[in-house]
Amino acid sequence: MLVALRDDFPILKREVNGYPLIYLDNAATTQKPQVVLDAMNEYYTSSNSNVHRAVHTLAGEATEGYESCRSQLKEWFNAERAVITSGTTEAINLVAHAWGRANLSEGDAIVLTEMEHHSDIVPWQMLAEERGIELRYVPVLEDFTLDMEVYAASLENAKLVCVVHTSNVLGVRNPLEKITELAHSNGALVLIDAAQGVPHERIDFQESDADFMAFSAHKMCGPTGIGALLVRPEVFETMQPFMGGGDMIETVTINGSTYQTNEHKFEAGTPRIAEAIGWCAAFEWMSKLDLRKEHQRLIGIAQWVANELRSMGISVYGRHDAADSAVVSFLHPSIQSEDLAHLFDARGIAVRTGHHCAQPLLHRLGISGTVRASFYLYNTMDEAETFIEQLKYITERFG
Amino acid sequence: MTYPEELAELIEEFQDIDDKMERLEMVFDMADEVIPFPPEHWTQTTKIQGCQSEAHVKVELQDGKILMLSGADAKLVQGLMGILSIAINGSAPAQALLLSPNFAEEMGILNSLSPSRSNGFRNMFDKVMKEIRILE
Repeated sequence: MLVALRDDFPILKREVNGYPLIYLDNAATTQKPQVVLDAMNEYYTSSNSNVHRAVHTLAGEATEGYESCRSQLKEWFNAERAVITSGTTEAINLVAHAWGRANLSEGDAIVLTEMEHHSDIVPWQMLAEERGIELRYVPVLEDFTLDMEVYAASLENAKLVCVVHTSNVLGVRNPLEKITELAHSNGALVLIDAAQGVPHERIDFQESDADFMAFSAHKMCGPTGIGALLVRPEVFETMQPFMGGGDMIETVTINGSTYQTNEHKFEAGTPRIAEAIGWCAAFEWMSKLDLRKEHQRLIGIAQWVANELRSMGISVYGRHDAADSAVVSFLHPSIQSEDLAHLFDARGIAVRTGHHCAQPLLHRLGISGTVRASFYLYNTMDEAETFIEQLKYITERFG
Repeated sequence: MTYPEELAELIEEFQDIDDKMERLEMVFDMADEVIPFPPEHWTQTTKIQGCQSEAHVKVELQDGKILMLSGADAKLVQGLMGILSIAINGSAPAQALLLSPNFAEEMGILNSLSPSRSNGFRNMFDKVMKEIRILE
């Protein structure tokens, strides 16, 4: 089964520095199956056109392809409103501009966590500076979980809670159900940054009870440059457009404009048509998999890797319980992280190093960066074993 | 261009290596060539900008000859510093200024590095040359 799955990814057949590629940088971006490449190629080869108003055949095909992505999003996530964005970052910025500016004012508070990716911190800092909004950060405890007592206490007068579904550094999946319940009972809305959650878990947006959910296609076998913001319908009605231009209007006169009432209101300009079509193909490809079973397999690999690293005296940052993601962050005691990543690369192994766009979290952990190996659907236990073997070899030679 | 003898030999040695890990190992070994620049002397002025690692360099003249002091948190960067030290230490400023950064490409070491590291090397080279021009 896994061999057949790997065959769907042409890039996995390549060698890097004379060694078979072992791609363990999936938390940054995942590889694309051939069906995604074919769908995008087919669009540009046969149907390339702009979407919506034109009546010719190509425009119809492009529109159908683009809008089928939205339908797919709504079906996959059980959501009523799905705005197509350039990715998680734009989706969160959209909330800050379209909802935040219309609904927040001086003295209001937003609750964030120290575990957030920069894309779920910086937009709020910018809005806070502009509007005099208070930002409250929930600390991360020594066991790499959120301090839920501080969280509960921070909700007073808060209008919005922004929380990462699963940490891109620690792999920890947060207790979103509890977080959302507490936020709502205190009158705050909830935005979930699900960039690392959607690749591993089939999320039911309505069941999650969140108000906003942001994520990217490229972390779930889809193309780069496209993502989505799911919004609860009642909240959607309270959002104001922030980017003006073509496609988002109903009428334009020299005296003013009226706007579309559906998701197009937030999708000014020519959208990412080929990417939407590619993402659709990725959903179709993923729908054939048992994601729950695959996740169990991957978390098993991550647990094994983490234990092997610990047995080598290497510090592992994170947790690998059943619901967490297959991300293993670590620091070697004697080889600097970037040096280590270069040495892995010399053996065809791709890992990531640095702050992973989560500097407040690393500051809390008292470190400036980690080496991160992250596993996805096409990774095998054999690859994990090679990764550990090579690490042992590198340690012996360079440690 | 013609390189100083020691550097020319080093370029040749690097060119003979096919395996990337061996090449990296050799860069690591070059870290021993560095004249240490202790972290307590690191400042914003000595910092090599645009380098992913914490990397610092200071150029002095000793009896009219160049003395490059350097330090970094990554061994690979220290190795690159060591290679540049071999290329310029003990030279007269006018002679060192003739050096082109292309020697690193001829060695094949830049191909072994990430683009950010390659840029870091170029930034280090430019900073060192700028300091030499001031000292000249």
